[in-house]
Amino acid sequence: MIKFIFKGILRDKSKSVIPLAVISVGVMVTVIMSGFLNGVFSDVINQNAKLDTGHVKIMSKPYFENKEQLPNDLALLEIQELIDSLNLNYPDLIWTPRIKFGGIMDVPDKEGNTKSQGPGIGLALALQNSKSDELKRLQLSKSLRKGNLPAESGEILLSDNYAKKLKINPGEKITFFGSTMEGSMVFQSYKMVGTVEFGSPLMDRGTFIIDIEDAQNLLDMENGTGELLGYFKDGIYNDQKALVISNEFNSKYSKSQDEYAPVMVTLKDQNGLRESLDMGDAFSGIFIFIFILSMSLVLWNTGLIGGLRRYNEFGIRLALGESKRNVFKLMMVEATIIGLIGSIFGTTLGIIFCYYLQEYGIDISSDIENSTIIMPSVMRAYITSDLFYVGFIPGLFSMLFGTALAGRGIFKRETARLFKELEV
Amino acid sequence: MKLEFKLAFKNLFGAKLRTLLNVFVLSFSFVIIIFLNSIMDGWDQQAQKDSVEWEFGEGHLLHNDYDPLDSYTILDGHGEIPKRSIGMTPVLERQASVYPQGRMIGVVLKGIPSDQKILKLPTKKLNQNKDEFPVIIGKRFSESAKLKKGDRVQIRWRDKNGTYDANTIIIEEIFDSNVPNIDNGKIWIDIEKLWKMTGLENQATYFILDQNFRKGPFDSWTYRSKTTLLKNIKDLIDQKKASQSVIFGLLLAIALLAIFDTQILSIFRRQKEIGTYIALGMTRLRVVRLFTIEGSVYSIMALIFGSIYGIPFFIYMSKAGFPIPPADQKLGIAIADVIYPVYGLKLILLTILTVIISATVVSYLPARKIAKLNPVLALKGKKQ
Amino acid sequence: MKKNILFFTFTIFLSLYSSAQTTNNEKALEIIKKIDNNMFSKTQIVTSEMIVYGKRKKRIIRSKGYSKGKENNYTEYLSPEREKGTKMLKLDKRLWIYSPSTDRTIQLSGHLLRQSVMGSDLSYEDMMEERKLSQVYTAEIVNEEIYLDSPVWIMQLTSKVEGLAYYKRTLWIDKNKFVPLKENLYAKSGILLKTTTFTNIKKIDSRWFPMKMNYKDMLKDGKGTDFIILDIAFNTKIPDNYFSKNILKK
Repeated sequence: MIKFIFKGILRDKSKSVIPLAVISVGVMVTVIMSGFLNGVFSDVINQNAKLDTGHVKIMSKPYFENKEQLPNDLALLEIQELIDSLNLNYPDLIWTPRIKFGGIMDVPDKEGNTKSQGPGIGLALALQNSKSDELKRLQLSKSLRKGNLPAESGEILLSDNYAKKLKINPGEKITFFGSTMEGSMVFQSYKMVGTVEFGSPLMDRGTFIIDIEDAQNLLDMENGTGELLGYFKDGIYNDQKALVISNEFNSKYSKSQDEYAPVMVTLKDQNGLRESLDMGDAFSGIFIFIFILSMSLVLWNTGLIGGLRRYNEFGIRLALGESKRNVFKLMMVEATIIGLIGSIFGTTLGIIFCYYLQEYGIDISSDIENSTIIMPSVMRAYITSDLFYVGFIPGLFSMLFGTALAGRGIFKRETARLFKELEV
Repeated sequence: MKLEFKLAFKNLFGAKLRTLLNVFVLSFSFVIIIFLNSIMDGWDQQAQKDSVEWEFGEGHLLHNDYDPLDSYTILDGHGEIPKRSIGMTPVLERQASVYPQGRMIGVVLKGIPSDQKILKLPTKKLNQNKDEFPVIIGKRFSESAKLKKGDRVQIRWRDKNGTYDANTIIIEEIFDSNVPNIDNGKIWIDIEKLWKMTGLENQATYFILDQNFRKGPFDSWTYRSKTTLLKNIKDLIDQKKASQSVIFGLLLAIALLAIFDTQILSIFRRQKEIGTYIALGMTRLRVVRLFTIEGSVYSIMALIFGSIYGIPFFIYMSKAGFPIPPADQKLGIAIADVIYPVYGLKLILLTILTVIISATVVSYLPARKIAKLNPVLALKGKKQ
Repeated sequence: MKKNILFFTFTIFLSLYSSAQTTNNEKALEIIKKIDNNMFSKTQIVTSEMIVYGKRKKRIIRSKGYSKGKENNYTEYLSPEREKGTKMLKLDKRLWIYSPSTDRTIQLSGHLLRQSVMGSDLSYEDMMEERKLSQVYTAEIVNEEIYLDSPVWIMQLTSKVEGLAYYKRTLWIDKNKFVPLKENLYAKSGILLKTTTFTNIKKIDSRWFPMKMNYKDMLKDGKGTDFIILDIAFNTKIPDNYFSKNILKK
């Protein structure tokens, strides 16, 4: 029987092509839309997560309490041991240390005397460690204005405005002058290899980026860090998981006598993100609901029209002695098959497209100059499990519903009239 | 043309359910596109308004040696207030340290006339406590420095010659502004008091300008227009708008899909009708036009339908406001907790035009097929 | 930065010596002369240790400083390893720091001099203060008391010119040994900003000299910074090249 219906669907293209196309496109658009909305609402999360908060962040207790002042004297120590145990206990997360510190950058002239100098804030991250994904995370290559990314230890990036102010060009030497974690005076020369733009006047005025190991050496923080950021391996913040992990982690240290015991905070518990993101979620939900409603209407419409169009056929079939119930049943089976094929096809296409958007994104500006670390011009989608049914279910059911609505006509009308509609 | 419209309306009203569905979907697109855009415009206006009211005024006039992004220029980046300074509110900046609970926090002391009206800062409060050093700070700084209203805290600064001075300031008021720049690490004090404290009588770091300001030969000062100062906000909002346009595109796509779908099937089903039109003497082109108009009439009906529920919704939102995440505030750009949408005429007209044109286009595409129909067969009802 | 404490000590002695000529207070003059006889020297070579109490651990930094008059000072750091070889040269109002690891000499000027020296309680400017206190402060004895079992005069110094970091200073001077035991530094408003205490007074070549000092920012929490003199030599000849920029090389 199913085979017969399949043949019908395949042979009568008018029966299949248009509804299939419409369902596929509708489902696909819904999936893309949801994925894209996931991406849009993740923007806030991502900006914060990648630059500052991580998905979870571990600091020492006193550092956490004074974090505005970048108190590296209160930094976490013995982090490798900590990271090892974290990797063991929380395999879903990847851990990466970050150090923020202040100091003075000094550019020498030919004789090695000061040519220009100015204060700056250093951002140290695992640039050389290819496993850390930090380069990708901050999309530094996209925000590069001049020169290259640091390829080896001893190389440094400056924010573009800072470099301009210091009148330094890529390839030139620059000396950091500041103090170690414990307050000792420290000098270190670096090769400035490139400039980046953050897109925030606050950060563009004077920020430099160096490798975390360079910073640890520089600041006498061997195996230490100011902040240890954790990111979910799939790149997507999961609040429930983050809360469970942070609660478990913190309870382990709650009785610790160590004044510098670590504490873990989730992304949402930093920078006042919780309220805003909860609201974003609600908004996103409403939006997708409206969209699905619209899409269902379209698909229902398709089912309806598809059914109405075939009154002639039904007339003949009824005339041939098929029962009304059977005609209706077959019609529904057909609709289910078409709905299924269309929904699967649409969902697949939509997810493929979302995947592309997730991995590569769309560059909304033709001009790469506009891309900055904080405001990347690349828009992304995010694939979450709900994408698999968000289009599929309405795709299937609205088709069925529309067909059923059209099928009413079979029962309402007289067989003779239906047959009469079969005109040659 | 009139006939086409008449027929189109008749046909559409005839097919009640289908028309209603299409119109409903399309009207959603209308309402949402207008709403989201108006939120962005509202945000834009609010951010600009807040920045102007709290920080920029009608522009700034900066001392040549002063760079607002480089705190080290504060030391020498100031000068005497020019004699003919109409429409200019002076601000003097000095670096200082405050010591809440034995911690040292570097701050910028900002002196401003307590009777100023150009900024919304509650500077009147600076005048109410003659004996003390009354200051006002923003809510963000109040949180990060753990300082409350009425708190007293030690402050240390240097006078113009570099001699240390210290005293106790009292937090007279904590203001709530959406502009982080005037808040984080800033302490506002009466400029006259700051002049006395530092010996920098009649000096200013920069001026906030108002309407009465006329550009003149201010040699040691640099003019920054309001537009220049607002550029950061504009850039951020433009970026957000771009990502929204993708949503609009998808939304419109689904609505247009509905119309397209309806058109294809109605042309398929109504061949006999098409044949009749041609038989009665209509040119094929005219029939194409009839069907195209039928499609685009959806958009007109959607407009009317959308207005029925959209207008009350818009009015409600403009009163209630739309809550927005405060998370973007780290960027140093003014963002309010609640944004009130702004419905621009240009935006509405542009949206209407876009929807009508695109609805017409998708209606036209399937209707082209009519031109290729064999009128005799069509009249007979033969599917072609 | 350990240097600066030495500067201060030195500055005080010197100023007391010279301010004697300007004060109307006969007794103050007499005291200051005695202190001068006891303490003043044309040059000083000091090996010292600075103990910085961090929040987690204390650091001990050893250095050797050479000074000639008030204007010229050259300091070389001896330990720990990280600091070893770092050199600091002060000539008049200019300050250079040389780091051997980078082979760079950095001049600190303008706004940078007002920055705190590596999070310590001092700014570079503090340690560069070089005008003779006698020229800029007036001195008077305001009280006598017993301070830490020693009879002391309490002397007050008030700025008589503009542009000094500290408007007012109070000194506790040991009546028998003619050395200061404590110094308070005040802001214009009279608020106490910093306190230095001098202990472990020893006799070196017929002079009494405080071998340990503690320097503390009174507005901030913390134990302040200790400064311990391990070895000191007065009026030794120091070659001129110690006070030229050429010394700031490897």
